[in-house]
Amino acid sequence: MNVKELLERFHKTATTPREQMDSYLAEGRKIVLTAPVYTPEEIIHSMGMVPMGVWGGDIQLAESKKYFPAFICSIVQSIVELGIAGTYKGASAIVIPSLCDSLKVAGQNWKYAVPSIPFIPMTYPQNRKPGFGHTFTKEGYLRVIKDLEEATGERFDDEKLAASIEVYNAHNAAMRALVIALAAHPEITNAQRSDIFKSAQFMRKEEHTALVNELIEALAAQQPGEAKTRVMTTGILADAPELLAILDENKIQIVCDDIAAESRQYRTDAPAEGASALDRLAAKFCEMDNCSVLYDVEKKRVAKIVEDAKTADAKGVVVLLTKFCDPEEFDYPLIKKACDEAGIPNVLIEIDRQMINYEQARTAIETFMELL
Amino acid sequence: MAEAVKKKRPPIDPNSAKARLGKIAAEAYSSAQEAKERGEMVGWCSSNFPVEIPETLGLAVVYPENQAAGIAARGAGERMCNVSEADGYSNDICAYARISLAYAKIKSAPEQDMPQPDFLLCCNNICNCMIKWYENLAKELDIPMILIDIPFNPDYEVSDAELAYVRDQFRAAIAQLEELTGKKWSEEKYKEVMEISGRTSRAWLKATACAKYTPSPFNGFDLLNHMAVMVTARGKLEAAEAMEKLYEEYEENHEKGESTFRTEEKYRVMFEGIACWPWLRVTATGLKSRGINMVTTIYADAFGFIYEDFDDMCRAYCKVPNAINLEYARDKRVKLAKDNKVEGLLVHTNRSCKLWSGFMPEMSRQIGEACDIPVVSFDGDQADPRNFSEAQYDTRVQGLMEIMETRK
Repeated sequence: MNVKELLERFHKTATTPREQMDSYLAEGRKIVLTAPVYTPEEIIHSMGMVPMGVWGGDIQLAESKKYFPAFICSIVQSIVELGIAGTYKGASAIVIPSLCDSLKVAGQNWKYAVPSIPFIPMTYPQNRKPGFGHTFTKEGYLRVIKDLEEATGERFDDEKLAASIEVYNAHNAAMRALVIALAAHPEITNAQRSDIFKSAQFMRKEEHTALVNELIEALAAQQPGEAKTRVMTTGILADAPELLAILDENKIQIVCDDIAAESRQYRTDAPAEGASALDRLAAKFCEMDNCSVLYDVEKKRVAKIVEDAKTADAKGVVVLLTKFCDPEEFDYPLIKKACDEAGIPNVLIEIDRQMINYEQARTAIETFMELL
Repeated sequence: MAEAVKKKRPPIDPNSAKARLGKIAAEAYSSAQEAKERGEMVGWCSSNFPVEIPETLGLAVVYPENQAAGIAARGAGERMCNVSEADGYSNDICAYARISLAYAKIKSAPEQDMPQPDFLLCCNNICNCMIKWYENLAKELDIPMILIDIPFNPDYEVSDAELAYVRDQFRAAIAQLEELTGKKWSEEKYKEVMEISGRTSRAWLKATACAKYTPSPFNGFDLLNHMAVMVTARGKLEAAEAMEKLYEEYEENHEKGESTFRTEEKYRVMFEGIACWPWLRVTATGLKSRGINMVTTIYADAFGFIYEDFDDMCRAYCKVPNAINLEYARDKRVKLAKDNKVEGLLVHTNRSCKLWSGFMPEMSRQIGEACDIPVVSFDGDQADPRNFSEAQYDTRVQGLMEIMETRK
């Protein structure tokens, strides 16, 4: 496929996850939903099932309001809304980690709001660097395995997990290479970039890796387009079509990101060595850093944003703050301060899944462009 | 609305539990200030951090949540929130955190001053927001932070895996603190502290359980004041003695047919959530003027920690209200409601507390069904006065009273 065809393929997958789910179901594959921010997808994959990411949708909330107060983030509320609406019908289970307070309550509400799809909790440690953090992560995975076996009838095998880890590490590498490749091609729009990341949530990773590597190869043969203003994005999500259109209209190019649904997923590989594949997977989580939902007393994430922006030659940082997201809201003042001190222009845009009017965001971005 | 029948307010006896508890709460701040002035290290400590650790090590600690509640109750919540919001903190963030981050910056609040910290003791068994708040304090003040991570437990029981993880962290925190402060852990001292903390907790829970009597020998809002001692001083001997005195007084009240709820108790409700500190008088009066006594709340009982040994202590800290699943949280409340013959549930939908409020609609529905009582909620905030509407509160409480009346 050429670049255009590949981008169309990513777009279709990103915008029609239900079709993708139906096609996997038709192949006889079981689907396990995976909620933000990190879940042990490799385990699900190794058991022969397809993990599909659920990060909510840009919809109006109705039924979920019976379960959540208004000040819980719209990502988790819309996940439950879609669950109640039957959007995920056919899924065998959902894995929800407890990495923030909103995710903790999401799991509890899910049990009563969507009883047809079993809730599997993944309890991660925050003190993940010492040995006891590794042990507890592994225990959490063992519990997920037990629940998955009960819910789906599939069986876990450590050797198969080792093979899945290779699939996921290869995908991580492809996604990291993709970011670098796209940074050199301003003709690829931000909407197209988002499609590639989003489609990764809905495809088996070996299939996605193949397509991404094909795209990287095709791009290498393509003349880069006219330069745009290079920026870095940071936040939980950056997939709202209206928002991406505003960035594209203003000739802004996202050259690197610290978005939870995008690059944060692919920074850390499971290490090559370990007592078992499951230990290697636990080590992967324990080695993760630079994320608002992972304990970070040194605030390394903040320094990394500045460093990444400089490395990617980003002229500014666009902070996409998901409304009611505590972890991000606490980090924001420090991110702003660090960027200001480093002389990196930055702009705050508050977003949520229920945004209808993007005019305020448009004005903020236009003003930011003038500043740049 | 019921006509208020006011009983005469007796003068405060300096030997009363109320006076003694008030003194202990005030001394929690003054003794830490004195320690600071002597050159000792002072810690800021989250409310459900195992107090046994600093107490055994002989470390002076103060409690930012308690301070924020005090500042908010004395009318300065908005002023302090404005300081942190000017620094870029969203007004959606927990107001205790906003007040605390503001205090760490401006270092003064006449409503409740306390010494600046040399280290931070954080435990997230009440919320992960606590981690983010303390991370920022550690960064801004450039001081060490010790985190005991007690995850939200999705299961009814504490698993062996969770117990082991928490126990290892307790031991690691002790070692870190020994290194940081030069103080030494003594098993003998720990046993003493454990005994006192247990004594205080048992007395506190016995006192709050006096709500089983009809009428209740106390106004439930008293518990919100006395609770400060449970947060800041439950490992101290004078706290144990004062709580035992409180229990005695409540029993005496019952025997004499008296109560600190100084009007006729027409209805008995359970209150859900953290107190609405900036509007404490309004929320109390809205109930009392209708003869509604808030006889019980999980918020008060949450600070009674009963355990028998180190492992049991770890388990107790895994079972605080915000660390447990919906079913366990529901069952604890159903027991409280039934034990105390509650006729209605008043839920504070607390804008500051996502975890506490996040599954409250479903849980309160289940409590209402299990206890066959009406459930009414109101919007508010534990410390930001802007998130509360007196008119809404009044309407909701009136509605609750009318339903309770029809069910008499």
